[in-house]
Amino acid sequence: MGIGEGTGFVLLALLGGALLTHGLERWVGPPERGPALPVSLSCGTVLPNADRWLFPAGPIVGFMGVLLGTVVLPFGPDLVARDLGIGVFYFIVVIDFVVLGVALTGWGANTPGAVESCYRIVAQLVAYVVPLGLAYVGAIMMAHSLSTTRIVEAQSGLWFIVLQPIGFALYVVSGLMQSYRHPFLEPFADGIGGGILSVVGGWSALLWRIALAGVLFLVAAMGAVLFLGGWSGPWLPPPVWMAVKTYALMALMLWLGRLARPLSTAEMLALSWRVLIPVGLANVLVVGILILLHVGPG
Amino acid sequence: MQVEGNDIEAAYSLVGLLVIIAAGLGLLAMALWRRPSRTIEAPPAWAQYRFGFLIYALIFLAFDMEMIFMYPWAVVFADLGIAAFVDMMVFIALLSAGIAYAWGMGGLEWE
Amino acid sequence: MSVAGIVEIIAFASSAFIAVAGALGMATTMSMFRSAIFLMASFMGVAGLFILLSADLLGLLQILMYIGGMLVMALFMVLFMPDPGGAMMAAMPEMMTPIGRFFSLGLLPENSHAAAAEMSGAHAEHDTHADHGGGHGTHARHQDAEHQRGRERKEGDDAHGGGDHHAHGAQGGSHGMGHMDMSDMSMVTPVRAWAAWLAVATGCVIVGLLVLRPSWPVSSALPDPRSADQVGSLLMDKYMVGFEAAGFLILIGIVGAVLAAHSGQHPDHRDREARVAVNAPPPPIEADFLEPLSQPLRDDDKCSPAPDGGHANHHAGGEGPT
Repeated sequence: MGIGEGTGFVLLALLGGALLTHGLERWVGPPERGPALPVSLSCGTVLPNADRWLFPAGPIVGFMGVLLGTVVLPFGPDLVARDLGIGVFYFIVVIDFVVLGVALTGWGANTPGAVESCYRIVAQLVAYVVPLGLAYVGAIMMAHSLSTTRIVEAQSGLWFIVLQPIGFALYVVSGLMQSYRHPFLEPFADGIGGGILSVVGGWSALLWRIALAGVLFLVAAMGAVLFLGGWSGPWLPPPVWMAVKTYALMALMLWLGRLARPLSTAEMLALSWRVLIPVGLANVLVVGILILLHVGPG
Repeated sequence: MQVEGNDIEAAYSLVGLLVIIAAGLGLLAMALWRRPSRTIEAPPAWAQYRFGFLIYALIFLAFDMEMIFMYPWAVVFADLGIAAFVDMMVFIALLSAGIAYAWGMGGLEWE
Repeated sequence: MSVAGIVEIIAFASSAFIAVAGALGMATTMSMFRSAIFLMASFMGVAGLFILLSADLLGLLQILMYIGGMLVMALFMVLFMPDPGGAMMAAMPEMMTPIGRFFSLGLLPENSHAAAAEMSGAHAEHDTHADHGGGHGTHARHQDAEHQRGRERKEGDDAHGGGDHHAHGAQGGSHGMGHMDMSDMSMVTPVRAWAAWLAVATGCVIVGLLVLRPSWPVSSALPDPRSADQVGSLLMDKYMVGFEAAGFLILIGIVGAVLAAHSGQHPDHRDREARVAVNAPPPPIEADFLEPLSQPLRDDDKCSPAPDGGHANHHAGGEGPT
């Protein structure tokens, strides 16, 4: 795609995806807590104590994270804004900008709830990065490539969810951590007034709504690419398949998330480091053995 | 297949443009939003604070280093066979020893 | 000059500018959190330079490492140092260089001018009742008047809501700040001017050596865009010993971190339970010693709250999670 079409495609995909995610989250259940809390879009906020460089930079960095992440999502055999050679790695790096954005907004706001939200979001980062990476590594190993298009093409025979069920389960749990949804919503918890959601309004609320809905959309879409075969499917056109798989996976993640009680930050970190990481390392071992036994694509 | 190095720059030019667009849209929205706004009064919260996930954070830094080795290995692993597998298993064993040590010494606790 | 060439030059110039400006900001700003963020921004400039050299994997690795690393480092600075936000240091503009003042813009609250004026007149009486929340009492007595003025401004300023601040101050005091000695918080050394000029001179000498070098060897190899494959093959083939040695070093780092952090010797202070999520079901409301962390944020009602927007603001914060 050229630069112009690429830009338009990315903006359209992100805004459309975020809008549908927003609708799906409200349809699943009224969001009484967590990042889907409704925030006033019409009334801006003025914080006299804020760090006037970091606080406005937060929403922009968060929005930039999801915008850049949409660049490598494949919606069809040629419908990807840029098929970067290291697409999946780029995606992982760029989604971390959302964490950076929350940290900037939280610290910059200089209110107790927001600063606590900044600390908790860094705890969330510490918890999700390694298990999520281990879940990705399994799919990368089987596809021999970091490019999203090649990963989708490598699943033309059999979806990776069949070959790597542990990896898929790991991805679902770490994906919920990465998108701050139930049960891992401590950074946006009620006890701190919603965290940064209590100090944003107006333009920053709009950007954060897009960013927080967008990160769930991106996590679900990348899950569909990695484990559910992306845009491949029999009768419908590829973008429709991609959308169906993305939102089905998103609904599954939200539903599974709600089955658990909300975890505190301490419990989330313990879960990640004591359970998910050993499981992830075991998954790498298992997938490695499968590949050596010539199971799986090529 | 010899491809030009400029492919990379061409690919990332879209990324650079999107960065500029995101910053531009954000600044535009900040400047143009002229609705009523409310002032929030709250005590300043920048103070020395002992967060509880200290050791988790240190071990996270170590494992971040591990993950950067795993991504390139995962790409070439299937072509290199069992030697590469054993290499990575040794690496993972070293790091699992680290986690086991931390767990046993009571490091994986919230403080 | 083709469009690609111009774009390349613009990209190089902006990446280089961000790298240098970020480093400068990191060294001169008064806020420690901003310092970490500036270092992160500087390395994003470096990542841009890597990408221009077709080493995209390395460039993105830089960004990945530095987002994680700098956020953790910012938290460590919050752990160890007083005034991580820089508001107190920024209130003492006489101690900063002009560059420092520029990079510390935006840290002070907007009504600080009135507070500073009131402060210089009234700092005598703040000496006598400096004993607000217990933890700050010790260092009110034997300190430099100048430092004290900056410190007490925070405590005596009514605009920030006295009651919450006392609780906040006590909270900070209970973390072991009681013995904080203000006099070794000096961020200015007498040789600062010499150091700055020496750094500028060294930079000029290095750049001069680069520019005036007789000839640059030009390699005829084309950069290979398949960076992940290249790096992976090299790791498994030529640098395998280094790879395993790196793993061993990381293991040593983990062991050292666990040993040095003396885990288990810092039991939670009872006041923390209401504030920070603990590895246990939350305590019942009756045991909540602190004022709730999230006060209903007092805001003027210039605009009516949105139908659901009032939820986040008027929540009393008394109910814990779940």
